[in-house]
Amino acid sequence: MSLAGKRILIAKPGLDGHDVGAKIIALALRDAGAEVIYTGLRKSPEYIARVAVEEDVDAVGLSILSGSHVDLVRDTMRHLRAAEGGNIKLFVGGTIPQEDNAALLEAGAVGIFNASQRIEDVVAEMDKHLAAD
Amino acid sequence: MPPTDTPNGVLDASARRRLAREISRLATASAHSVLRAPPTSVAPPARRIGFTGPPGVGKSTLVGKLVERRAAAGTSVGVLAIDPASPYSKGAILGDRIRMDQASADPRVFMRSVSSRDSQDGMCNNVADILCAMEVHGFDEIVMETVGVGQAEHAVKALVDTVVLLMQPETGDAIQALKAGILEVADIIVVSKSDLHGAPKMREVLASTVRFGAQRAVNWTVPVIGVSVETGKGLDELEAALTAHAGWVARHRTPAETARRRATYRVQDLVLRRLEDQLATLSPDDYDLPLPELYQRVLTGLAQI
Repeated sequence: MSLAGKRILIAKPGLDGHDVGAKIIALALRDAGAEVIYTGLRKSPEYIARVAVEEDVDAVGLSILSGSHVDLVRDTMRHLRAAEGGNIKLFVGGTIPQEDNAALLEAGAVGIFNASQRIEDVVAEMDKHLAAD
Repeated sequence: MPPTDTPNGVLDASARRRLAREISRLATASAHSVLRAPPTSVAPPARRIGFTGPPGVGKSTLVGKLVERRAAAGTSVGVLAIDPASPYSKGAILGDRIRMDQASADPRVFMRSVSSRDSQDGMCNNVADILCAMEVHGFDEIVMETVGVGQAEHAVKALVDTVVLLMQPETGDAIQALKAGILEVADIIVVSKSDLHGAPKMREVLASTVRFGAQRAVNWTVPVIGVSVETGKGLDELEAALTAHAGWVARHRTPAETARRRATYRVQDLVLRRLEDQLATLSPDDYDLPLPELYQRVLTGLAQI
């Protein structure tokens, strides 16, 4: 498994103030060879999209624990397209009930993760999506 | 490619995208592909300021605050932040952005993090070309931040107009600075976190070191400024010093000299990378050769394109 040379933005949109999960994922991605940029807490979808484009990332991983994941994914995707970053792959992770998966996929997410998954599996799935590039 | 209208450093979505992609291309380009189409700088060039110093000294925090202030005053700024890559996975956490979020939301700011990858001097590959590619977009200023690891200070000196060296309020650092001789490259020295205990002492030690050291630049005494981003103290003084040094540069360095210095770094960087590629092609048997023959073999290999 190798994410060597891939650039990934880990971002925390919305108001929840807990980023242990985001940081753990960031470290795991780094250890898989990726260059990881982390935004810090409480960023707007517009800001995240701008950073994603400036940093020319291959993927954005949103970490959301607030429950507003569907709206935040939709907004982030809209801003990514407006910033000419519509080709950047969007992943979302956090406390996400399974029944929201369809809505998230429709909103533009390509991968959905929750706390019950093993980190290796998360990294492997991101790798699979990004390897297609 | 430069945008069609006069670039003023305020980028629309597509210019942002374009510059971002160009930086990615250059950051991973081989020496050969850079040589095929080297980016060229345009006049008038951006003022370049480099920030360097040991990890954790507060470079990103200071750069973030300073860029925020300058952008608010109408200056367009391109920021290039270089972070080290993990020697194990080659991956990296590029964390400078977290400390610059106020600044990097401003439309007059373009901010980019890059990994030092396998660069030997703490910079990133093709950094001279990346700076040129940024300059094309007409920023008033380009700010480069790099981790201070020995050679980095000298590299940054070659590429920017003004070098700001950050030191922390701990005496151990002053001794380190004297040992490594890194103080000598600084045009301005900042004692960061100056609200902390020990900062005045550190400033004193550094100021006397500067005073008693050999004066390197005519008519320029390196100022030692205590800055606390936390309280805002010292930021005005730092901006005044940056302005004063810009004036000094205008009076004492010709554009031709600056161009020559940068060209020297650029060609040296390319040759060194070519040398690394060349060394990687040697077989274990080659190392059995007597040193003069091994040396000759490497030189011969270098000459072949």
